[in-house]
Amino acid sequence: MTARRVVVTGLGIVSPHGSDPEILFGRLMKGESAIAKMCFDVPRPYSNIAAAVPFEPTRHFPPQQRLENLDRVSQFSIAAAAAALVDAGIKFTDEMRHRSGVSFGTGMGSTQTLEETFKQVFQRDPDRVRPLTVLKVMNNASAGHIAIQHGLGGPDLTYSCACSSSAVAIGEAYRQIRHGYADVMIAGGAEAPLTVTFFRAWDAMHVLAPADPSDPSASCRPFAKNRSGLVLGEGAAMIVLEERESALRRGATIHAEMAGYGSSNDNEHITKPSVDGQANAMKLALADGGLTAEDIDYVNAHGTATLLNDVTETRALKNVLGDRAYQIPVSSTKSMHGHLLGGAGALEFVIALLAMRYRAVPPTANLEVPDAECDLDYVPGEGRAEQNIRCVMSNSFAFGGTNAVLIARRE
Amino acid sequence: MMPTVFDKVQAVITKKFSVPAENIRLDSTLESLGLDSLDLIDALFEIEDEFNVRLPQDASGVRTATIQDVVDSIEKLQAADGGQQAGRA
Repeated sequence: MTARRVVVTGLGIVSPHGSDPEILFGRLMKGESAIAKMCFDVPRPYSNIAAAVPFEPTRHFPPQQRLENLDRVSQFSIAAAAAALVDAGIKFTDEMRHRSGVSFGTGMGSTQTLEETFKQVFQRDPDRVRPLTVLKVMNNASAGHIAIQHGLGGPDLTYSCACSSSAVAIGEAYRQIRHGYADVMIAGGAEAPLTVTFFRAWDAMHVLAPADPSDPSASCRPFAKNRSGLVLGEGAAMIVLEERESALRRGATIHAEMAGYGSSNDNEHITKPSVDGQANAMKLALADGGLTAEDIDYVNAHGTATLLNDVTETRALKNVLGDRAYQIPVSSTKSMHGHLLGGAGALEFVIALLAMRYRAVPPTANLEVPDAECDLDYVPGEGRAEQNIRCVMSNSFAFGGTNAVLIARRE
Repeated sequence: MMPTVFDKVQAVITKKFSVPAENIRLDSTLESLGLDSLDLIDALFEIEDEFNVRLPQDASGVRTATIQDVVDSIEKLQAADGGQQAGRA
């Protein structure tokens, strides 16, 4: 079978900037950060800032939904998947259902339920663990609920590779359709890591940025000389991928065409990023789409604002794109929505697609002090119009060394 | 008037599973109310919490148990405990 073409027909998000992609993009363009101080009922950690989602479950679920059986991460995912399907305007016929599936990614999973269960066992009464705890905690809970809710009988897969999880989920879903195993895939991921335990665990690694004393919302400074670490975020992003011909037949609105996916591992160190590993994922994604550096018009960078990532990613971009790396905008929107870990790749890919739709690129916020080793055009401050965005790249690099690069082109 | 044991059981099932209160009678079985096996263990857990009792772990009889059986079990446990369990945090 010749490889089939795959298009994006629906977008759904639950983000620190809200659940409307247009509003998210508008706020990002203005450089508006959703990062704020957190209140924890424990002694103040080293870092106490994050980008939390202003989530009201009752706005996303019917009254009879038993929310107590869904972890926060699953509530995000199910809500984002439903929004993506509404955006796609797709009606599943019985014939379509067994060729339609879910591809989901999360790094940390159901942190809230885990924390609650540990408290119950170690601090309260170990005899009173809620009977459905396993069903809330398992990492594929979100994907299972999404398939059940929409009646999808095709592949239902969950990937866990830290900060690349949802980018991998989208890339693998694209392959499922491209190689004929499915016709429709709801793909993306989610994270809800803002529990005391998980926050403190991240904090203990000394990778979290301390709060900027004068403006906590400006604490995440990717590619800046004074960058001081990442800021945790939470949320979900799900997209609908479809085989192009059937999407066209049903008159779907097509946001973009999937143009390439590259997957690699650094195979050197559990956290330290590698130029070669990252560059390899980008090269594979370009080769997958039959593309060259000249085709890429915007990169949504992994850009965590850790000391090592930003300089490594800059070198990898220059290694792969050559002179083109200096000619195109490269921005890290993590400066505003924080690091969604397993959900980051999907949210940032959506943002890259929105950049294509609105012919504009969002900025890297808080980039005021340049770093000589980070010398690309990171779109500091505010976003700007870019008429000729035909092709966008979104980078995701993870602890564990898993790199995932997604490329989409204008349909 | 103090709510009876039946009133409280009815309230738990109504709240948790959106079963209309008028459908829940003393002779209803939990299964006839549309609760599947997972719902059953979840419902019994909630009821245990509500009354601060521990119902017998006899899974085989649960599906066919009526609301009357549940009410009887609770009243029996409450009487046997003489309120001791109710004092447990």
